[in-house]
Amino acid sequence: MTGNTTRLLVPVTRSRTLRNTVAYVIDEAIGAGTDSEPSVVHFVVLSGWRSDDPGSEDERADAEALLDRVTFWAELDLEEADAADATVQIETTIVGTEEYLFSPSDYARVLSKYAKEHKLERVIVDPEYSLVGHITLLGPLEFELAQADLTVEEAPVERPTRRSQFVGRTNAPRFLALFGGSFMFYQVLGGFSDLLGGGVFDIVTGAMTALIVAVVLSNVSFYRNPSVVDSPKRIVRGLIYAPYLLYEIFISNIAVARVVLDPRASIDPKMTKIRVFVGSGLPLVTLANSITLTPGTVTVRARNQELYVHSLLQASRDGLFDGGLERWVRFVFYGRSAARFPSPLERGDTEVLQGSAVDADNSGETDEVPMSDETEENT
Amino acid sequence: MIATLRIGAIAICLAIGLFFTLVSMVGVIRLPDLFARAHTASQADTLGAGFTLAAVAIAIGPDSTAAKTVLLLFFIFVTNPTAAHAIVRAAYEEGIEPWTQGEDRR
Repeated sequence: MTGNTTRLLVPVTRSRTLRNTVAYVIDEAIGAGTDSEPSVVHFVVLSGWRSDDPGSEDERADAEALLDRVTFWAELDLEEADAADATVQIETTIVGTEEYLFSPSDYARVLSKYAKEHKLERVIVDPEYSLVGHITLLGPLEFELAQADLTVEEAPVERPTRRSQFVGRTNAPRFLALFGGSFMFYQVLGGFSDLLGGGVFDIVTGAMTALIVAVVLSNVSFYRNPSVVDSPKRIVRGLIYAPYLLYEIFISNIAVARVVLDPRASIDPKMTKIRVFVGSGLPLVTLANSITLTPGTVTVRARNQELYVHSLLQASRDGLFDGGLERWVRFVFYGRSAARFPSPLERGDTEVLQGSAVDADNSGETDEVPMSDETEENT
Repeated sequence: MIATLRIGAIAICLAIGLFFTLVSMVGVIRLPDLFARAHTASQADTLGAGFTLAAVAIAIGPDSTAAKTVLLLFFIFVTNPTAAHAIVRAAYEEGIEPWTQGEDRR
């Protein structure tokens, strides 16, 4: 058929069309492979975690189980097709455990690097392939990979009815969590009067409202199941985090207020780039929002694991590079052990993007430079 | 006695809240560019609104309505940085260079 393109790369994830995709891929491989030059099929899982994350063991085990299942299916298909063992080689791997992957371009970059390393030429993508929660990344992924000189095609398999992009599947934990949350919110707004006073009106109307909310929105409200153990823990740790955040906000508010009101004080705004390790999704949003809430620092872009932060003062930059907020966000989402983590400055993950030359001109401390050279020679 | 203390606390919280809102306003006028102004604009939303809402909560007293002010603050704290980020990011993607020391005022 396609002749020389017998080296296939297939990214896999749990999806309803995975079984059919595997069947299609194996079929293609058998059609193209010969005894002298066997087809090679690489099934890869792109990791959404980093290997040193707490809890990554479970995700790794999950991914390995998925790959085992894919291998099993593939071998079954080979057997059924009566193909000689030598015509198709199957490999499975997990890639991307060294870093957090965020956008389609990240996934594409990792995939094309892998393809280059193993001389794979053709990518077959499951039509239901999606990585982050329930957002289908297929379109952008195909686009990016085609840019990287790889042949990309979608496996032509039967798929269930097309869902719109945002909508995931609902299930009991999600439904119950949203129902409980909305019900409690309703009671707070109603002042708990009926719940404590033995009335029924608020309880009945609250239950009805919460039911409507849960039915309509439980499929878009979560991107992973709330856990009975972890979610309350995170909420409690979030409550511990709140006073610290307020304290930080207060301190930096005073610093910024001083600069704004004092006619002699000058500002020193600079764009900075900082690499953070908090994990994608909600933790990153929490960190970026906390940084923005603190006057003196505003998150401009969040790209991959890098935050572009505009900082107003040297003091706010120091605070940012010290990584207090990052440690606290790690604490909120991963627990106390994860909070013991070197600061961005110690890791060397900070970068000031603007105006170091301007800084030297303005500081008027040109004597400082030879001085520091001397001391270095002396020591 | 208690009533006096309470009124005093309300007055102090209101004053601090208004002070930070004023600072924020002065900052928006004084600071040189959009990026710098974004910093000071968040002051009004954090401590400005925070202390004013605290004053409201004290004035209302231990009532469920006071709990609503806490919720209100929570929602402000979630939405304000999101809006600030959206504005700053839009400016950044438009290619506006942030002002640095030594440049002329724009």
